[in-house]
Amino acid sequence: MSKEKIFEIIVRHTREVVPRLEDHQFQPSDSLRALGANSVDRADIIMMTLESLALNIPLIEIAKADNIGELAGIFHEKS
Amino acid sequence: MRSPSCFDIVITGVGVTSAIGQGKAEFLPALLEGRHRFDAMRRPGRQLPALSRDEMPEAGQAFGFIGAEIPALPIPESIPRSLLRTASFSGQVALATLHEACEDARLDKVAPERIGLVVGGSNVQQRELIQVHDAYRGREQFLRPTYGMSFMDSDLCGLCTEAFGIRGFAYTVGGASASGQVAVLEAIHAVESGRVEVCIAMGALMDISYWECQGLRSLGAMGSDRYANEPALASRPFDRDRDGFIFGESCGVVVIERLESAQRLERPPYARLSGWAMGMDANRNPNPSIGGEVAAIKAALERAGLSSMDIDYINPHGTGSTIGDVTELESIRQCGLGHAYLNATKSIIGHGLSAAGVVEMIAILLQMKEGRLHPTRNLENPIDSSFKWVGRQAVSHTIENALNLSMGFGGVNTAVCIQKYS
Repeated sequence: MSKEKIFEIIVRHTREVVPRLEDHQFQPSDSLRALGANSVDRADIIMMTLESLALNIPLIEIAKADNIGELAGIFHEKS
Repeated sequence: MRSPSCFDIVITGVGVTSAIGQGKAEFLPALLEGRHRFDAMRRPGRQLPALSRDEMPEAGQAFGFIGAEIPALPIPESIPRSLLRTASFSGQVALATLHEACEDARLDKVAPERIGLVVGGSNVQQRELIQVHDAYRGREQFLRPTYGMSFMDSDLCGLCTEAFGIRGFAYTVGGASASGQVAVLEAIHAVESGRVEVCIAMGALMDISYWECQGLRSLGAMGSDRYANEPALASRPFDRDRDGFIFGESCGVVVIERLESAQRLERPPYARLSGWAMGMDANRNPNPSIGGEVAAIKAALERAGLSSMDIDYINPHGTGSTIGDVTELESIRQCGLGHAYLNATKSIIGHGLSAAGVVEMIAILLQMKEGRLHPTRNLENPIDSSFKWVGRQAVSHTIENALNLSMGFGGVNTAVCIQKYS
Protein backbone atom coordinates (compact mmCIF):
# COMPACT_ATOMS: atom_id res chain seq x y z
CA MET A 1 0.00 0.00 0.00
CA SER A 2 1.28 3.47 -0.84
CA LYS A 3 2.39 5.90 1.83
CA GLU A 4 -0.36 8.29 0.69
CA LYS A 5 -3.02 5.64 1.16
CA ILE A 6 -1.70 4.88 4.65
CA PHE A 7 -1.81 8.61 5.43
CA GLU A 8 -5.49 8.61 4.43
CA ILE A 9 -6.19 5.67 6.75
CA ILE A 10 -4.56 7.50 9.67
CA VAL A 11 -6.63 10.60 8.89
CA ARG A 12 -9.84 8.54 8.74
CA HIS A 13 -9.20 7.02 12.15
CA THR A 14 -8.15 10.37 13.61
CA ARG A 15 -11.46 11.87 12.52
CA GLU A 16 -13.28 8.92 14.05
CA VAL A 17 -11.49 9.30 17.39
CA VAL A 18 -11.49 13.12 17.50
CA PRO A 19 -14.79 14.13 15.85
CA ARG A 20 -14.08 17.85 16.07
CA LEU A 21 -11.34 17.37 13.45
CA GLU A 22 -13.93 16.33 10.87
CA ASP A 23 -13.34 19.42 8.74
CA HIS A 24 -9.62 19.79 9.39
CA GLN A 25 -7.40 19.76 6.30
CA PHE A 26 -4.76 17.27 7.39
CA GLN A 27 -1.13 17.74 6.36
CA PRO A 28 1.76 15.27 6.80
CA SER A 29 3.37 17.80 9.12
CA ASP A 30 0.39 17.71 11.52
CA SER A 31 1.14 16.34 14.97
CA LEU A 32 -1.65 14.32 16.60
CA ARG A 33 -0.70 15.77 19.96
CA ALA A 34 -0.81 19.35 18.64
CA LEU A 35 -4.21 18.62 17.10
CA GLY A 36 -5.52 17.87 20.58
CA ALA A 37 -5.50 14.07 20.57
CA ASN A 38 -4.65 12.96 24.09
CA SER A 39 -2.47 9.94 24.86
CA VAL A 40 -5.42 7.52 24.89
CA ASP A 41 -6.77 8.97 21.63
CA ARG A 42 -3.34 8.59 20.01
CA ALA A 43 -3.04 5.00 21.20
CA ASP A 44 -6.45 4.19 19.75
CA ILE A 45 -5.66 5.89 16.42
CA ILE A 46 -2.44 3.91 16.08
CA MET A 47 -4.10 0.62 17.02
CA MET A 48 -6.99 1.20 14.62
CA THR A 49 -4.50 1.91 11.84
CA LEU A 50 -2.48 -1.20 12.64
CA GLU A 51 -5.71 -3.20 12.54
CA SER A 52 -6.69 -1.71 9.18
CA LEU A 53 -3.25 -2.56 7.80
CA ALA A 54 -3.18 -5.99 9.53
CA LEU A 55 0.24 -4.94 10.74
CA ASN A 56 1.79 -6.33 13.90
CA ILE A 57 4.81 -4.29 14.92
CA PRO A 58 6.25 -3.27 18.31
CA LEU A 59 4.60 -0.03 19.43
CA ILE A 60 8.00 1.32 20.52
CA GLU A 61 8.89 1.73 16.83
CA ILE A 62 5.98 4.10 16.35
CA ALA A 63 7.07 6.35 19.20
CA LYS A 64 9.78 7.82 16.95
CA ALA A 65 7.22 9.59 14.77
CA ASP A 66 6.78 13.31 15.36
CA ASN A 67 3.93 13.83 12.94
CA ILE A 68 1.37 11.98 10.84
CA GLY A 69 3.63 11.94 7.78
CA GLU A 70 6.40 10.23 9.73
CA LEU A 71 3.90 7.82 11.21
CA ALA A 72 2.71 6.91 7.71
CA GLY A 73 6.33 6.44 6.70
CA ILE A 74 7.00 3.96 9.53
CA PHE A 75 3.84 2.00 8.72
CA HIS A 76 4.78 2.01 5.02
CA GLU A 77 8.27 0.75 5.80
CA LYS A 78 6.96 -2.13 7.94
CA SER A 79 4.07 -3.16 5.70
CA MET B 1 -31.58 2.28 68.71
CA ARG B 2 -32.32 5.52 66.93
CA SER B 3 -29.32 7.66 66.25
CA PRO B 4 -31.03 10.69 64.82
CA SER B 5 -29.27 12.78 62.28
CA CYS B 6 -28.63 16.38 63.30
CA PHE B 7 -29.72 17.32 59.83
CA ASP B 8 -32.71 16.78 57.62
CA ILE B 9 -31.57 14.89 54.54
CA VAL B 10 -33.51 15.61 51.36
CA ILE B 11 -33.59 14.71 47.69
CA THR B 12 -33.46 17.69 45.35
CA GLY B 13 -33.00 16.15 41.92
CA VAL B 14 -33.77 13.00 39.99
CA GLY B 15 -32.83 11.45 36.67
CA VAL B 16 -34.22 8.24 35.25
CA THR B 17 -33.82 6.15 32.13
CA SER B 18 -35.81 3.00 31.55
CA ALA B 19 -37.45 0.95 28.83
CA ILE B 20 -40.70 2.87 29.34
CA GLY B 21 -39.20 6.31 29.13
CA GLN B 22 -36.19 8.56 29.45
CA GLY B 23 -36.62 11.34 31.95
CA LYS B 24 -39.22 11.78 34.66
CA ALA B 25 -41.65 13.47 32.25
CA GLU B 26 -41.89 10.26 30.23
CA PHE B 27 -41.38 7.82 33.07
CA LEU B 28 -44.24 8.86 35.38
CA PRO B 29 -47.12 8.76 32.85
CA ALA B 30 -45.89 5.40 31.56
CA LEU B 31 -45.78 4.07 35.13
CA LEU B 32 -49.26 5.32 35.94
CA GLU B 33 -50.65 3.80 32.76
CA GLY B 34 -48.76 0.54 33.28
CA ARG B 35 -47.16 0.73 29.83
CA HIS B 36 -44.46 -1.87 29.31
CA ARG B 37 -41.91 -2.99 26.71
CA PHE B 38 -41.39 -6.64 27.64
CA ASP B 39 -40.36 -8.77 24.68
CA ALA B 40 -37.64 -11.20 23.61
CA MET B 41 -34.41 -9.28 24.24
CA ARG B 42 -32.65 -8.29 21.03
CA ARG B 43 -29.63 -6.28 22.09
CA PRO B 44 -26.51 -7.93 20.65
CA GLY B 45 -24.89 -10.20 23.21
CA ARG B 46 -28.15 -11.04 25.03
CA GLN B 47 -29.23 -13.94 22.85
CA LEU B 48 -27.94 -17.46 23.06
CA PRO B 49 -25.49 -17.61 20.14
CA ALA B 50 -26.18 -21.24 19.29
CA LEU B 51 -29.76 -20.52 18.39
CA SER B 52 -30.95 -18.12 15.76
CA ARG B 53 -34.39 -16.57 15.95
CA ASP B 54 -35.36 -18.45 12.81
CA GLU B 55 -35.03 -21.83 14.44
CA MET B 56 -37.93 -23.31 16.31
CA PRO B 57 -36.83 -24.27 19.80
CA GLU B 58 -37.32 -27.85 20.81
CA ALA B 59 -39.53 -28.56 23.79
CA GLY B 60 -37.92 -27.23 26.92
CA GLN B 61 -35.12 -25.53 24.98
CA ALA B 62 -34.34 -21.91 25.71
CA PHE B 63 -34.44 -19.62 22.67
CA GLY B 64 -33.51 -16.49 24.45
CA PHE B 65 -34.53 -14.26 27.29
CA ILE B 66 -37.44 -11.95 27.94
CA GLY B 67 -36.75 -8.46 29.17
CA ALA B 68 -37.47 -4.77 28.73
CA GLU B 69 -34.83 -2.90 26.73
CA ILE B 70 -34.37 0.85 26.28
CA PRO B 71 -35.61 1.54 22.72
CA ALA B 72 -33.53 4.66 22.05
CA LEU B 73 -31.11 6.79 24.00
CA PRO B 74 -31.01 10.48 23.07
CA ILE B 75 -27.82 11.94 24.52
CA PRO B 76 -27.85 15.63 25.47
CA GLU B 77 -25.74 17.80 23.16
CA SER B 78 -23.70 19.14 26.06
CA ILE B 79 -22.05 15.75 26.63
CA PRO B 80 -18.77 15.66 24.69
CA ARG B 81 -18.86 13.28 21.70
CA SER B 82 -15.25 12.39 22.44
CA LEU B 83 -16.37 10.81 25.73
CA LEU B 84 -19.19 8.89 24.10
CA ARG B 85 -16.95 7.18 21.56
CA THR B 86 -15.39 4.91 24.12
CA ALA B 87 -18.19 4.87 26.70
CA SER B 88 -19.97 1.56 27.20
CA PHE B 89 -23.75 1.42 26.96
CA SER B 90 -23.88 1.55 30.78
CA GLY B 91 -21.65 4.62 30.65
CA GLN B 92 -23.77 6.36 28.02
CA VAL B 93 -26.97 5.71 29.96
CA ALA B 94 -25.23 6.97 33.12
CA LEU B 95 -24.27 10.22 31.38
CA ALA B 96 -27.75 10.81 29.95
CA THR B 97 -29.44 10.07 33.29
CA LEU B 98 -27.03 12.13 35.36
CA HIS B 99 -27.57 15.05 32.99
CA GLU B 100 -31.26 15.13 33.91
CA ALA B 101 -30.53 14.96 37.65
CA CYS B 102 -27.90 17.75 37.49
CA GLU B 103 -30.32 20.00 35.61
CA ASP B 104 -33.17 19.07 37.93
CA ALA B 105 -31.16 19.94 41.05
CA ARG B 106 -29.43 22.89 39.40
CA LEU B 107 -26.07 21.59 40.51
CA ASP B 108 -24.27 24.37 38.64
CA LYS B 109 -24.87 26.43 41.79
CA VAL B 110 -22.71 24.10 43.91
CA ALA B 111 -18.91 24.24 44.08
CA PRO B 112 -17.52 21.22 42.16
CA GLU B 113 -15.29 20.30 45.13
CA ARG B 114 -18.40 19.98 47.31
CA ILE B 115 -20.13 17.43 45.08
CA GLY B 116 -19.64 13.67 45.51
CA LEU B 117 -20.78 10.73 43.39
CA VAL B 118 -21.52 7.16 44.46
CA VAL B 119 -22.20 4.70 41.64
CA GLY B 120 -24.14 1.63 42.76
CA GLY B 121 -23.31 -1.56 40.90
CA SER B 122 -20.53 -4.04 40.21
CA ASN B 123 -19.70 -5.74 36.90
CA VAL B 124 -22.16 -3.50 35.14
CA GLN B 125 -20.67 -3.79 31.62
CA GLN B 126 -20.67 -7.55 31.10
CA ARG B 127 -22.47 -7.58 27.72
CA GLU B 128 -20.15 -4.94 26.34
CA LEU B 129 -17.09 -6.86 27.50
CA ILE B 130 -18.07 -10.14 25.89
CA GLN B 131 -18.76 -8.25 22.67
CA VAL B 132 -15.18 -6.98 22.73
CA HIS B 133 -13.78 -10.41 23.62
CA ASP B 134 -15.67 -12.02 20.76
CA ALA B 135 -14.57 -9.34 18.30
CA TYR B 136 -10.86 -9.61 19.15
CA ARG B 137 -10.47 -13.29 19.98
CA GLY B 138 -7.52 -14.60 17.95
CA ARG B 139 -6.26 -11.10 17.10
CA GLU B 140 -5.77 -9.75 20.57
CA GLN B 141 -2.85 -7.56 19.48
CA PHE B 142 -5.35 -5.15 17.91
CA LEU B 143 -7.48 -4.72 21.02
CA ARG B 144 -8.27 -1.01 21.44
CA PRO B 145 -6.05 0.49 24.14
CA THR B 146 -9.07 2.18 25.72
CA TYR B 147 -10.29 -1.25 26.81
CA GLY B 148 -7.50 -1.10 29.42
CA MET B 149 -9.41 1.60 31.29
CA SER B 150 -13.01 1.16 30.21
CA PHE B 151 -13.41 -2.43 31.43
CA MET B 152 -13.47 -1.21 35.04
CA ASP B 153 -16.78 -0.16 36.58
CA SER B 154 -15.00 2.89 37.94
CA ASP B 155 -14.85 4.14 34.33
CA LEU B 156 -18.42 5.32 34.98
CA CYS B 157 -17.04 7.53 37.75
CA GLY B 158 -14.42 8.90 35.36
CA LEU B 159 -16.95 9.55 32.60
CA CYS B 160 -19.44 11.25 34.90
CA THR B 161 -16.96 13.38 36.84
CA GLU B 162 -15.34 14.60 33.62
CA ALA B 163 -18.63 15.35 31.86
CA PHE B 164 -20.12 17.20 34.84
CA GLY B 165 -16.99 18.63 36.47
CA ILE B 166 -17.44 16.77 39.76
CA ARG B 167 -14.37 17.18 41.98
CA GLY B 168 -15.40 16.04 45.46
CA PHE B 169 -15.11 12.26 45.35
CA ALA B 170 -16.46 9.37 43.30
CA TYR B 171 -16.44 5.63 43.75
CA THR B 172 -18.51 2.53 43.08
CA VAL B 173 -20.27 0.34 45.64
CA GLY B 174 -21.74 -3.11 45.15
CA GLY B 175 -24.61 -4.83 46.90
CA ALA B 176 -25.99 -7.02 44.09
CA SER B 177 -29.64 -6.05 43.50
CA ALA B 178 -29.49 -3.71 46.48
CA SER B 179 -26.55 -1.76 44.98
CA GLY B 180 -28.70 1.27 44.19
CA GLN B 181 -29.91 1.61 47.76
CA VAL B 182 -26.42 0.96 49.09
CA ALA B 183 -25.30 3.92 46.96
CA VAL B 184 -28.08 6.04 48.47
CA LEU B 185 -26.98 5.08 52.00
CA GLU B 186 -23.37 6.00 51.18
CA ALA B 187 -24.51 9.34 49.76
CA ILE B 188 -26.56 10.05 52.89
CA HIS B 189 -23.51 9.39 55.07
CA ALA B 190 -21.40 11.68 52.90
CA VAL B 191 -23.71 14.68 53.31
CA GLU B 192 -24.53 13.89 56.92
CA SER B 193 -20.85 13.88 57.85
CA GLY B 194 -20.20 17.08 55.92
CA ARG B 195 -17.70 15.39 53.62
CA VAL B 196 -19.51 17.02 50.73
CA GLU B 197 -22.44 19.39 50.47
CA VAL B 198 -24.25 17.44 47.78
CA CYS B 199 -23.90 13.78 46.96
CA ILE B 200 -25.24 12.07 43.87
CA ALA B 201 -26.32 8.43 44.18
CA MET B 202 -26.60 6.44 40.97
CA GLY B 203 -28.07 3.01 40.39
CA ALA B 204 -26.09 2.09 37.28
CA LEU B 205 -27.54 0.16 34.36
CA MET B 206 -26.35 -3.42 34.73
CA ASP B 207 -25.75 -4.47 31.14
CA ILE B 208 -25.97 -8.23 31.40
CA SER B 209 -25.06 -10.63 28.59
CA TYR B 210 -26.57 -14.00 27.74
CA TRP B 211 -24.05 -15.54 30.12
CA GLU B 212 -25.52 -13.70 33.12
CA CYS B 213 -29.06 -14.34 31.87
CA GLN B 214 -28.34 -18.06 31.59
CA GLY B 215 -26.68 -18.16 35.02
CA LEU B 216 -29.51 -16.26 36.68
CA ARG B 217 -32.08 -18.47 35.00
CA SER B 218 -30.23 -21.66 35.95
CA LEU B 219 -30.11 -20.40 39.50
CA GLY B 220 -33.89 -20.11 39.46
CA ALA B 221 -33.79 -16.35 39.96
CA MET B 222 -34.65 -15.19 36.43
CA GLY B 223 -37.93 -16.30 34.90
CA SER B 224 -38.05 -19.36 32.66
CA ASP B 225 -39.41 -19.92 29.14
CA ARG B 226 -42.90 -20.31 30.51
CA TYR B 227 -44.04 -17.02 28.99
CA ALA B 228 -41.78 -17.13 25.92
CA ASN B 229 -44.76 -16.73 23.63
CA GLU B 230 -46.48 -14.16 25.82
CA PRO B 231 -43.67 -11.89 27.05
CA ALA B 232 -46.14 -9.32 28.35
CA LEU B 233 -47.23 -11.82 30.99
CA ALA B 234 -43.76 -12.79 32.20
CA SER B 235 -43.07 -10.11 34.83
CA ARG B 236 -45.60 -10.80 37.58
CA PRO B 237 -44.36 -10.00 41.07
CA PHE B 238 -46.49 -11.37 43.90
CA ASP B 239 -48.74 -13.32 41.53
CA ARG B 240 -49.27 -17.05 42.05
CA ASP B 241 -48.10 -17.77 38.48
CA ARG B 242 -44.72 -16.00 38.75
CA ASP B 243 -41.57 -18.01 38.22
CA GLY B 244 -38.73 -15.53 38.52
CA PHE B 245 -37.72 -11.95 37.82
CA ILE B 246 -37.68 -10.44 34.35
CA PHE B 247 -34.77 -8.16 33.51
CA GLY B 248 -35.32 -4.53 32.60
CA GLU B 249 -32.68 -2.01 31.57
CA SER B 250 -32.72 1.07 33.73
CA CYS B 251 -30.62 3.67 35.49
CA GLY B 252 -31.60 6.09 38.24
CA VAL B 253 -29.92 9.07 39.84
CA VAL B 254 -30.93 11.00 42.96
CA VAL B 255 -29.28 14.13 44.32
CA ILE B 256 -28.99 14.10 48.10
CA GLU B 257 -28.15 16.97 50.42
CA ARG B 258 -28.99 18.57 53.76
CA LEU B 259 -32.18 20.58 53.89
CA GLU B 260 -30.26 23.73 54.89
CA SER B 261 -28.18 23.45 51.73
CA ALA B 262 -31.26 22.97 49.56
CA GLN B 263 -32.93 26.00 51.17
CA ARG B 264 -29.84 28.17 50.87
CA LEU B 265 -29.53 27.37 47.19
CA GLU B 266 -33.30 27.63 46.71
CA ARG B 267 -33.86 24.09 45.51
CA PRO B 268 -37.23 22.64 46.50
CA PRO B 269 -36.88 19.12 47.90
CA TYR B 270 -38.83 16.20 46.49
CA ALA B 271 -38.95 14.53 49.88
CA ARG B 272 -37.09 13.94 53.11
CA LEU B 273 -35.13 10.77 53.75
CA SER B 274 -36.20 10.12 57.32
CA GLY B 275 -34.76 6.69 58.11
CA TRP B 276 -32.53 4.07 56.59
CA ALA B 277 -30.83 0.82 57.44
CA MET B 278 -28.73 -1.95 55.99
CA GLY B 279 -28.09 -5.40 57.40
CA MET B 280 -26.62 -8.68 56.26
CA ASP B 281 -27.90 -12.23 56.65
CA ALA B 282 -24.40 -13.69 57.03
CA ASN B 283 -25.33 -15.85 54.04
CA ARG B 284 -23.44 -15.89 50.76
CA ASN B 285 -26.32 -17.44 48.82
CA PRO B 286 -29.21 -15.82 46.94
CA ASN B 287 -31.96 -16.93 49.32
CA PRO B 288 -33.55 -14.12 51.35
CA SER B 289 -34.43 -14.21 55.03
CA ILE B 290 -37.38 -12.91 57.00
CA GLY B 291 -35.11 -12.15 59.93
CA GLY B 292 -32.79 -9.98 57.86
CA GLU B 293 -35.58 -8.10 56.12
CA VAL B 294 -37.52 -7.50 59.33
CA ALA B 295 -34.39 -6.21 61.06
CA ALA B 296 -33.67 -3.72 58.27
CA ILE B 297 -37.28 -2.48 58.15
CA LYS B 298 -37.48 -2.05 61.93
CA ALA B 299 -34.14 -0.27 62.08
CA ALA B 300 -35.16 2.14 59.32
CA LEU B 301 -38.49 2.89 61.05
CA GLU B 302 -36.76 3.42 64.37
CA ARG B 303 -34.25 5.78 62.87
CA ALA B 304 -37.10 7.72 61.27
CA GLY B 305 -38.95 7.86 64.56
CA LEU B 306 -41.96 6.27 62.90
CA SER B 307 -44.28 3.46 63.91
CA SER B 308 -45.39 0.91 61.36
CA MET B 309 -48.81 2.57 61.28
CA ASP B 310 -47.22 5.78 59.98
CA ILE B 311 -46.21 4.07 56.74
CA ASP B 312 -48.96 4.35 54.16
CA TYR B 313 -47.18 3.07 51.05
CA ILE B 314 -44.50 0.45 50.40
CA ASN B 315 -42.49 0.09 47.23
CA PRO B 316 -41.15 -3.41 47.84
CA HIS B 317 -38.25 -5.22 46.21
CA GLY B 318 -40.94 -7.45 44.60
CA THR B 319 -39.05 -9.16 41.81
CA GLY B 320 -41.34 -12.07 40.95
CA SER B 321 -38.93 -14.50 42.56
CA THR B 322 -40.64 -17.62 43.86
CA ILE B 323 -39.10 -17.45 47.33
CA GLY B 324 -38.30 -13.75 47.48
CA ASP B 325 -41.85 -12.47 47.11
CA VAL B 326 -43.25 -14.78 49.81
CA THR B 327 -40.41 -13.89 52.17
CA GLU B 328 -40.89 -10.19 51.61
CA LEU B 329 -44.65 -10.27 52.24
CA GLU B 330 -44.13 -12.20 55.45
CA SER B 331 -41.50 -9.68 56.56
CA ILE B 332 -43.87 -6.80 55.82
CA ARG B 333 -46.62 -8.56 57.79
CA GLN B 334 -44.36 -9.25 60.76
CA CYS B 335 -43.44 -5.56 60.86
CA GLY B 336 -47.10 -4.62 61.15
CA LEU B 337 -47.21 -3.01 57.73
CA GLY B 338 -50.07 -5.00 56.23
CA HIS B 339 -52.26 -1.89 56.09
CA ALA B 340 -50.02 0.05 53.67
CA TYR B 341 -50.58 0.28 49.93
CA LEU B 342 -48.30 -1.99 47.89
CA ASN B 343 -47.47 -2.00 44.19
CA ALA B 344 -44.59 -3.50 42.23
CA THR B 345 -42.62 -1.22 39.90
CA LYS B 346 -40.79 -4.24 38.44
CA SER B 347 -44.08 -5.47 36.97
CA ILE B 348 -43.86 -2.49 34.58
CA ILE B 349 -40.14 -1.86 34.01
CA GLY B 350 -38.58 -5.21 34.96
CA HIS B 351 -35.74 -5.78 37.38
CA GLY B 352 -32.90 -3.33 36.90
CA LEU B 353 -30.62 -5.24 39.30
CA SER B 354 -28.04 -2.62 40.38
CA ALA B 355 -30.33 0.21 39.27
CA ALA B 356 -33.50 -1.05 40.95
CA GLY B 357 -33.09 0.59 44.36
CA VAL B 358 -32.67 4.09 42.94
CA VAL B 359 -35.18 3.81 40.08
CA GLU B 360 -37.85 2.57 42.48
CA MET B 361 -37.02 5.37 44.89
CA ILE B 362 -37.64 7.80 42.04
CA ALA B 363 -40.94 6.01 41.36
CA ILE B 364 -41.89 6.77 44.98
CA LEU B 365 -40.89 10.44 44.71
CA LEU B 366 -42.85 10.97 41.49
CA GLN B 367 -45.93 9.15 42.81
CA MET B 368 -45.69 11.24 45.98
CA LYS B 369 -45.67 14.42 43.94
CA GLU B 370 -48.49 13.25 41.69
CA GLY B 371 -50.73 11.90 44.46
CA ARG B 372 -51.29 8.65 42.60
CA LEU B 373 -49.96 5.11 42.87
CA HIS B 374 -49.10 3.16 39.74
CA PRO B 375 -50.76 -0.17 38.94
CA THR B 376 -49.19 -3.58 39.37
CA ARG B 377 -49.22 -5.51 36.11
CA ASN B 378 -50.15 -9.20 35.96
CA LEU B 379 -51.28 -9.36 39.57
CA GLU B 380 -54.17 -11.63 38.72
CA ASN B 381 -54.01 -13.94 41.71
CA PRO B 382 -51.98 -12.37 44.51
CA ILE B 383 -50.13 -14.89 46.65
CA ASP B 384 -51.81 -13.14 49.55
CA SER B 385 -54.89 -11.07 48.81
CA SER B 386 -55.11 -9.64 52.33
CA PHE B 387 -52.55 -6.95 51.46
CA LYS B 388 -53.64 -3.56 50.16
CA TRP B 389 -52.55 -4.07 46.55
CA VAL B 390 -52.71 -1.49 43.82
CA GLY B 391 -53.96 -3.77 41.07
CA ARG B 392 -54.77 -3.11 37.44
CA GLN B 393 -55.59 0.56 37.83
CA ALA B 394 -53.65 3.42 39.35
CA VAL B 395 -55.22 4.81 42.52
CA SER B 396 -55.25 8.28 43.99
CA HIS B 397 -53.37 8.44 47.25
CA THR B 398 -51.38 11.09 49.06
CA ILE B 399 -48.21 9.47 50.33
CA GLU B 400 -47.10 10.80 53.70
CA ASN B 401 -44.51 8.16 54.61
CA ALA B 402 -43.24 5.55 52.17
CA LEU B 403 -40.98 2.57 52.72
CA ASN B 404 -38.60 1.45 49.99
CA LEU B 405 -37.00 -2.00 50.17
CA SER B 406 -34.14 -3.66 48.33
CA MET B 407 -32.50 -7.05 48.74
CA GLY B 408 -29.46 -8.51 47.09
CA PHE B 409 -27.74 -11.86 46.67
CA GLY B 410 -25.31 -12.55 49.46
CA GLY B 411 -27.78 -11.63 52.17
CA VAL B 412 -28.05 -7.87 51.62
CA ASN B 413 -31.12 -6.13 53.12
CA THR B 414 -31.75 -2.38 52.86
CA ALA B 415 -34.71 -0.21 53.79
CA VAL B 416 -35.30 3.53 53.40
CA CYS B 417 -38.15 5.67 54.77
CA ILE B 418 -39.20 8.56 52.58
CA GLN B 419 -41.32 11.33 54.05
CA LYS B 420 -43.37 13.90 52.19
CA TYR B 421 -41.74 17.29 52.45
CA SER B 422 -44.00 20.16 53.31
